[in-house]
Amino acid sequence: MGTGPPASRIAQKAKKKPPFPFFAPVYSLLAGWTGLAFWLLLLLLLALYPYTGVSSVALFVGSQIFVLVTLASNWNLIGGMTGYVDFGHAVFFGIGAYIMGILVTGTPLLISPEWGFWQALPASGFAAALFALLVGLPTLRLKGPYFSIAMLGTLVAMREIARVLRPITGGGVGLNLPPLLNRLGDYYLMLAVMGLVVSLIWWIQRSEFGQSLIAIREDEIGAEMRGINTTLHKITAFMIAAFFTGIVGGFWAWQNTYIDPDVVFVEARTVEMVMMSMLGGLGTVWGPPLGAVVIYFLQDLLWGNLSGVHLLPLGLLLVVIVLFMPEGILGTLGDRSSTSLGRLLSRVGRSR
Amino acid sequence: MTSDPRPLLEGRTVSKFFGGLAAVNNVDFAVYPGEIVGLIGPNGSGKTTLFDCLSRLQKIDGGQVFFKGRDVTGARPYQVARMGLTRTFQSVRVYRKMTVLRNMLISHQWRDTSLWRMLRPSPASTAHRARQLLEFLQIEHLADEEAGRLSGGQRRLLEIGMALMPDPDILLLDEATSGVNPTLIETIKDRIRTLNAQGKTFLLIEHNINFIADLCSRVYVLNYGEKLAEGAPLEILQNEAVIDAYFGA
Amino acid sequence: MDQLLQALVSGLLLGGFYSVMVLGFSVIWGVMGVINLAHGEFLMIGAYMAWGLFRFFGMDPFASLVLILPLMFLIGYLLQIVLINRVVERPHLMTLLVTFGLSIAIANLFKIQFTSDPRNVAVAYNGSVQLAGVTFPIVKTIIFGVALFIMVCLHLFLQRTRLGKSIRAAAQNKTAARIVGVDINRVYAITAGICIALTAAAGAMLSPTQAIFPFMGPPFTLKAVTITALGGLGRIPGALMGGMVLGVTEIFVSTYVPGIGTNLGVATSFILLVLILVVRPQGLMGGLRPIDAEAE
Repeated sequence: MGTGPPASRIAQKAKKKPPFPFFAPVYSLLAGWTGLAFWLLLLLLLALYPYTGVSSVALFVGSQIFVLVTLASNWNLIGGMTGYVDFGHAVFFGIGAYIMGILVTGTPLLISPEWGFWQALPASGFAAALFALLVGLPTLRLKGPYFSIAMLGTLVAMREIARVLRPITGGGVGLNLPPLLNRLGDYYLMLAVMGLVVSLIWWIQRSEFGQSLIAIREDEIGAEMRGINTTLHKITAFMIAAFFTGIVGGFWAWQNTYIDPDVVFVEARTVEMVMMSMLGGLGTVWGPPLGAVVIYFLQDLLWGNLSGVHLLPLGLLLVVIVLFMPEGILGTLGDRSSTSLGRLLSRVGRSR
Repeated sequence: MTSDPRPLLEGRTVSKFFGGLAAVNNVDFAVYPGEIVGLIGPNGSGKTTLFDCLSRLQKIDGGQVFFKGRDVTGARPYQVARMGLTRTFQSVRVYRKMTVLRNMLISHQWRDTSLWRMLRPSPASTAHRARQLLEFLQIEHLADEEAGRLSGGQRRLLEIGMALMPDPDILLLDEATSGVNPTLIETIKDRIRTLNAQGKTFLLIEHNINFIADLCSRVYVLNYGEKLAEGAPLEILQNEAVIDAYFGA
Repeated sequence: MDQLLQALVSGLLLGGFYSVMVLGFSVIWGVMGVINLAHGEFLMIGAYMAWGLFRFFGMDPFASLVLILPLMFLIGYLLQIVLINRVVERPHLMTLLVTFGLSIAIANLFKIQFTSDPRNVAVAYNGSVQLAGVTFPIVKTIIFGVALFIMVCLHLFLQRTRLGKSIRAAAQNKTAARIVGVDINRVYAITAGICIALTAAAGAMLSPTQAIFPFMGPPFTLKAVTITALGGLGRIPGALMGGMVLGVTEIFVSTYVPGIGTNLGVATSFILLVLILVVRPQGLMGGLRPIDAEAE
């Protein structure tokens, strides 16, 4: 500690390296209000998309992508902005899915009358947020990897518990939800949720609350010492992220019409969230959505028809991202000196 | 200097143990409003641990701490910070991936911050104050630089600026001069004097004896976690026990 | 009374397996500060190797250690050189992500190759012996013995040999070790080799006692974290103690929690883990690295 690098190096480093020439205008446009304006425009176009007479398959694909974008953005709030890398975030997805399943089928608990979808959906979110409060109070006190592992433990433990609590969850047999197919409704619902979540993240990131989350990520002790109630802010961020993940989980259960412990409480879903955020750019607003879209089409393109197998390349891709572009797409494009891929690209650029 | 008989910050028989080892042992002390007090002692004598106890970063194992007459022994760090006690750290703590200006903005006074305000970007008044302080510390030209890219000395100045943002009553500076070049040390010294003239109280941990002698009205000396001596700087420097502790006998 | 004694014995036998299972995890963490989330997957690989050797060559799982140990040493050594050494100096998160990605990739590779059907290694001596009213399953008792033997060997290796000493030196102070001429990368690679070989060996020994399938790994990783939190980092007596505590706790829960206890292995150890970490973030015996201090 103490003495920094010599002044000449500081001066050199201080000069901002220009982003990639072709990307520079886009990059600066993404920041601030223009970014939100583009986002709202995109949402409008997506809302008009069904009127172009598309198939129900396209609508299904659309809602799937919206689900992924929502999950990635949510995870980014706690994992990217606050710096609490949650390896068990799928647990909130599972809680949401189960609340939906239990309430609308009513079978295991003999709830009657059964709840409708629209009543059960917010309940999924609130249940997940409540669970986040209970789990977060002890686990958010843990630092770095201990938090990650404790959350991974929460996920694996909840899977076991869901399997054991047969009277409530139906155990390993799972629950069958009423199959009421409405592709157009699904599409618009998830479009709305995605629009809301990403706009919310944009808003949070600009606010003092969001900046305090970043401060917590950068130096939690310092933040606490400068008057930020770190516990409150962390828990709030965690609960927001859990709430919308629970909503998505509830929606997913409805759309999939079947849930059991092994399909909702899976590590793979967490890996997806982590990957999409990392690929796009941790802690940025537009990175995780971008990463989600890229990952979806990569999967679709390369391993679309081999269900289950796609996780092998997914795992390897995570390793590759960490090794070569830990700052993600946006980070790599924004500051090419920070990653090995960025340096490689800038070297290629210079030789031309 | 001790015109106000009530101390601003007071510790009564403060103790802190690590395992069986007493890092701070039964230390009594008081800082009065408007003072600049020094805290010196050899490496490992418990200075930083005492700071951590005062700023509530460490649990206190014995004794009590009073700030503005209130018992803050069980308070959390953010609470004493909001009451008007801020500090810097021996190993500088700044938010490295945020710009200097953002570092300053987020360190504003969080007391009475409404929920509505938290959901908005920082207001212009905060930004104005941040820029003024950066100017005061002569680092306003670095406002848009990432804090992680500053030199060690510049980071120390930034950290002092962050500690000043909430307009505290007392600042605890932990080795504000270590790793800082001599010109910058003079700047820091000058700024502390100016701030003190404006009514801010200081408690300084320092290795730089000249710095202490120039600024402080009173000095506490710690050794092996215990208070070895207290008094005016020049007396202290002639105190046999202090000389022994520093240079060995 | 009999039930209590039986639970205690079963718990200690299970604990013996846990302590050898955790060694590789704990030493990697202690020496290079890497939390290996693919730990359970290496155990799974060992179990599959034992199954393959048993199924196609009729080799006994315990005899197959002779082949598995050197082969997995090589794999661990290469993996460290090719992959982990690149991220070992980076923040914790990065190594965590790399090993997390690796665990998913390995598990799914095995799923593609072997499907997710459970495999069994049915050894002939799969019975049990009665002794003073207590049942001793033969395989588990052998595992217990081999586990103790391995621990003594590893202990002697780390304490007595030159290589073992340089591993301990690298664990305590990397910079100082480098200055006195220890080739850190090589020491890390050897450490990883030993640890992964040991983990796979634990998996091979486990193979006669439970079904083998591609996704069996994560619970073991989680249990390894719990045991490490219980017993401390990289310490063999600590691993032994932590393993025993977890083993006995698990068996007691499954014996005395009616109906559902047997299925709550991971939940038990998870609750234990969170309790320990929240009450004592440095681990029950101390010695978990204070994460905040080394963040920069």
